[in-house]
Amino acid sequence: MDYSNLRRQAASLKKGLFDQGHLDEQFRQVEDLQDEASPNFVEEVVVVFFKDSGRLISNLEQALEKYPRDFNRWDAYMQQLKGSCSSIGASRMKNECMSFRDNCGQRSVEGCMGSLQKLKREHAILRQKLESYFQVTLEAPPCQSWCHDRWIISINLLTDVCMFTMQLLRQVGPAGAATRPAM
Amino acid sequence: MELKAKGSTSIKALLVEDIGVCRLVLSTFLLRLHCEVTLAMNGKEAVDLFLEGKKFDIVLFDKDMPVMTGPEAIVKIRAMGETDVKMVGVSADDHAMEAFMSVGADLFVPKPMRMEALGPIIQEVINKKKNDMV
Repeated sequence: MDYSNLRRQAASLKKGLFDQGHLDEQFRQVEDLQDEASPNFVEEVVVVFFKDSGRLISNLEQALEKYPRDFNRWDAYMQQLKGSCSSIGASRMKNECMSFRDNCGQRSVEGCMGSLQKLKREHAILRQKLESYFQVTLEAPPCQSWCHDRWIISINLLTDVCMFTMQLLRQVGPAGAATRPAM
Repeated sequence: MELKAKGSTSIKALLVEDIGVCRLVLSTFLLRLHCEVTLAMNGKEAVDLFLEGKKFDIVLFDKDMPVMTGPEAIVKIRAMGETDVKMVGVSADDHAMEAFMSVGADLFVPKPMRMEALGPIIQEVINKKKNDMV
């Protein structure tokens, strides 16, 4: 299997997430926490995020129906979701949370509803893009094992070449002696 | 719930946070900084831990939580005479700093918390603990 292609694909997907503003620097902070002891930490965090955010959006939708024009309550729910988005660097979602809260401040029901729809759209897009990204990373083994093996092979080969060259030079002697004709 | 990292600094941290992903990320930061981490889901659980006689060197509070908020919990914990423990407010709410500092928090850090921000805070707690032991 061409792991280098898969790895390039994963890198491209991740770059797209940052370039398109779906993720920000905080996601890299989360990635930095992943290590050999927690090899799936990032995916675990993302799973928990979508579980939390799905629940929070659902709570908010219920509140919009059950407590009409209760902007303080709506704002409180959205504040929680904003904090959740901030923790993993879900930047576009966070911006929609802030837009919703602005609409609460302006007491605009229509504005709040519009922001919520945009938020749900961003939520679905981010979920789909991250699922694609993790699917590809699952298919490509971690660079630590593949690249490590490749480097070890390269280093061993280089060492063998150096040893052979040194032995050859010992046998041949200094370059001057080798070229001077025997007297 | 208690979590312990390898090579503990013996800094006992209590994280009071109701949102799962925030709890996961922040607790992992604390573990990476070699703290012993206890988790509470709201302010009341935090207060109950202190009432049980549990001791902590640092407590990090989210602001808005069910049952009891972070600032409300700080008021109650300080009223128990817990003046030495470092209380840190953490929130994505732009108006949270005033809410925390007015009730006796030592510090406020906006969400998202970064390792670069948390590291020096933990180091300060370590230094203070060493000085107190001398």
